[in-house]
Amino acid sequence: MDSLRSGRLYAIVLVVLALITLPYWASRYWILVILLFSLNLGLSQMWNLLAGYSGLISLGQQSFIGLGGYALAVFSIYYGFPIWLSIVIGGIVSVLFALLISAPIFRMRGVYFAIGTWTVAEVLRILFSNWKYVGYGMGLFVKPAYALSFNTIYFTALGIGIASVALVYFLLRSKLGLGLMAIRDEETASETLGVDIFRCKLNCFLISAGVTGAVAGVLYLHNIFIQPYSAFGIDWTVRLVFITIIGGIGTIEGPIIGSFLYVFLHQWLSEYPSVSLLILGSIAIGVILIAPKGIMGTIQEKLGFEILSPRRK
Amino acid sequence: MLSFLGELKGPITNGLLLGGLYGIIGIGMSMIFGIVRLVNLAHGDLVILASYLSLVTMSFFPVNPLFTLIIVIPAMCIIGFVVQYYLLNQVLGKGMNPPLLVAFGLSIIVQNILLLIFTPDARTLLTSISVKTIPLGGFINIPLVYLVDFICSLVTIVLLSRFFNRTYMGKAIRAASDDEGAAQLMGINTKTIYAFAMAIATGTAAVAGVLVGMTFTFYPHTGPEYLIIAFGVVIVGGLGSLLGTFLGGLILGLAQILGAHFLGPGFQLLSGYVILLMVLTFKPTGLFAKG
Amino acid sequence: MQNIDVFYHDFHALWDVSLEVEEALVVSIIGANGAGKSTLLNTIAGVLNPSQGTIEFHGKKINGLMPYQAVAEGISMVPEGRRIFPRLTVLENLEMGCYIPKARQKKNEVLRKIYELFPILEERKNQLSVTLSGGEQQMLAVGRALMCQPRLILFDEISLGLSPLVIKNIYQRVKQINSEGITALLVEQDIQRSLKAANKVYIMQSGRVRLEGRPAELSQEDIRKAYFGL
Repeated sequence: MDSLRSGRLYAIVLVVLALITLPYWASRYWILVILLFSLNLGLSQMWNLLAGYSGLISLGQQSFIGLGGYALAVFSIYYGFPIWLSIVIGGIVSVLFALLISAPIFRMRGVYFAIGTWTVAEVLRILFSNWKYVGYGMGLFVKPAYALSFNTIYFTALGIGIASVALVYFLLRSKLGLGLMAIRDEETASETLGVDIFRCKLNCFLISAGVTGAVAGVLYLHNIFIQPYSAFGIDWTVRLVFITIIGGIGTIEGPIIGSFLYVFLHQWLSEYPSVSLLILGSIAIGVILIAPKGIMGTIQEKLGFEILSPRRK
Repeated sequence: MLSFLGELKGPITNGLLLGGLYGIIGIGMSMIFGIVRLVNLAHGDLVILASYLSLVTMSFFPVNPLFTLIIVIPAMCIIGFVVQYYLLNQVLGKGMNPPLLVAFGLSIIVQNILLLIFTPDARTLLTSISVKTIPLGGFINIPLVYLVDFICSLVTIVLLSRFFNRTYMGKAIRAASDDEGAAQLMGINTKTIYAFAMAIATGTAAVAGVLVGMTFTFYPHTGPEYLIIAFGVVIVGGLGSLLGTFLGGLILGLAQILGAHFLGPGFQLLSGYVILLMVLTFKPTGLFAKG
Repeated sequence: MQNIDVFYHDFHALWDVSLEVEEALVVSIIGANGAGKSTLLNTIAGVLNPSQGTIEFHGKKINGLMPYQAVAEGISMVPEGRRIFPRLTVLENLEMGCYIPKARQKKNEVLRKIYELFPILEERKNQLSVTLSGGEQQMLAVGRALMCQPRLILFDEISLGLSPLVIKNIYQRVKQINSEGITALLVEQDIQRSLKAANKVYIMQSGRVRLEGRPAELSQEDIRKAYFGL
């Protein structure tokens, strides 16, 4: 058993090393792919944390994406803060906003929660579109980002992507994680055992908000241009949902597989964005009908095979 | 005080009339939510699909968009039946999430198919009534198309109400939504019944789509906008009654227009969202929910 | 039915159960909670499907049918807990009973007979069914099951939650219904009531048939032993 574990550990380390050294041996195309992959990975791990482990289907992650992106833009442009600081502030702003809306939002259950989170994002969208300070709907160019090299952005993205996976992994092995797994398996029973469900879910919500905000900061380093309509748009959540469903909801490896599939498909069909979404949507429906646990979930079920298992052995 | 109210008579009337349109947008979603316990995230896109179908029909027969309903309604009903029978029925009863996600997937597929076929250009179902206003009661002018929307909406809802209360199938649908198992014991094939219910819901989406197309411009991605409106109507109005949904529409329409009047046109949608959030927080079953 | 095995999800609910019900008779199935009686009825009605064994009805195999198909064959059920449609009126509930096209034609005829049997239903015909008392709801459930002119009616614990007088009333009606040639299969926890009403009884315990026979031929001792599985 131990040799299997260390075998997996070596494999993971190898992969990570390969990714870190990517700019030295791979083409720009692949560096871009892994960059986008890492960003989508970070975002989808957070969505998975909410939907797959806390039972909170959120259709409003774009609130934090917009907030994180705008924090990066505003603080680095207007106040000249260093970029890394602006990204961190993006995360903090997101957490604070999440805290702010948590009181009303957590009164909503199930589908109402989903709609509520979406509506909040739409509210932000309108507010930012009408806000003179951020240039109304015309958006902002993140000029300070021009100073960065492509490779720097790549490393930042890779770093935050790996960090998010690690975060989820260690989170699930912690006390919070144990509580989450209990909730996931049997919510009412776990409540009687003293698991403070509300606190668990709230913490997950806050963590996912913060990380999403930070990832968004890096994302807009790459995109350079931010405007309210797309930053707070539902399209973000659409892709996160698809990624997680196809990859395998409720597993750590799921978003990894899903993100890779998504980025690959998207780049391959970059001439025809609608087609790639069509295919994605159809695959997602197919997955739900045939293998509702997604790629990874079905593998886990059939073969009992887990790469990153949060279970304590 | 009176002059203040006098100033408002335009927005109030417009708000109520617009609310009629919103009401019919929400009816389809309310039906499915109440009967099959499914939140059809693709509802907004189905409405827009109907608008495009009307557009296509009009390119063959240059008539008033309302006449295209003759084709669009049956077409949408068939689509709804097929979607429910072959797709959504497979995931019913597998928990809350799969139907939600399948509907989500469907929404994206519809949007992108429309995008591929029709390009992202703005469209509208232009008719002479789209730009006319008529005087009402001699003291205000209202856009004629809003009035038409309101009347069509009201007529549809009255027809629906008669269907549910007077026909066998309507009652069977109500029975199946009360207790699926017991309905089966009565000899009702609930899977087929749900498909018929969905067909009716998409039928209302057809009416809504044509009306929307006549009143506003639309793009392939306008669907989610109307989805949120439908949510708003259903949640504010509450489940379980057609009248409640209609009233929900009126309230939402009123809130939006008044919001635009006081805060500016950019905040029209915002007023609606705020009302939606407040109802979600304090009374998610809706203001007029039955029991 | 012969040698039925029924699983409720992963739970093996019925083991090798065999029953024979003659036409126009009243047969009772008695047993404590969890003995498997409701599972048995649900299997006949098509709500559950046996993983093994066969069920024959008037010479036709009806194993894997869906409930609505069973109705078409002439099997009707008064479910446990009545399960009337709360948001429909009494009349609408009854109308649902004859949903199948064959029965719809005879609706008014059958309705008249039901009203004769349960006059209170006619009185309250336009009231929402949820406003009826427990006993009236039970009558509605029975009336509803009769609307499709079945050949066999399954009664699942119809005395639950009702006062003795009301129960007596209902059982009288059951007898009346049976006298018109409709076969009745009753599930009951109340032993005495069952023995009085039935031509034949089966006693079940833990998913198996322990005892069968005519009430007059069974001794108290045998019944007690079978009921408790001793």
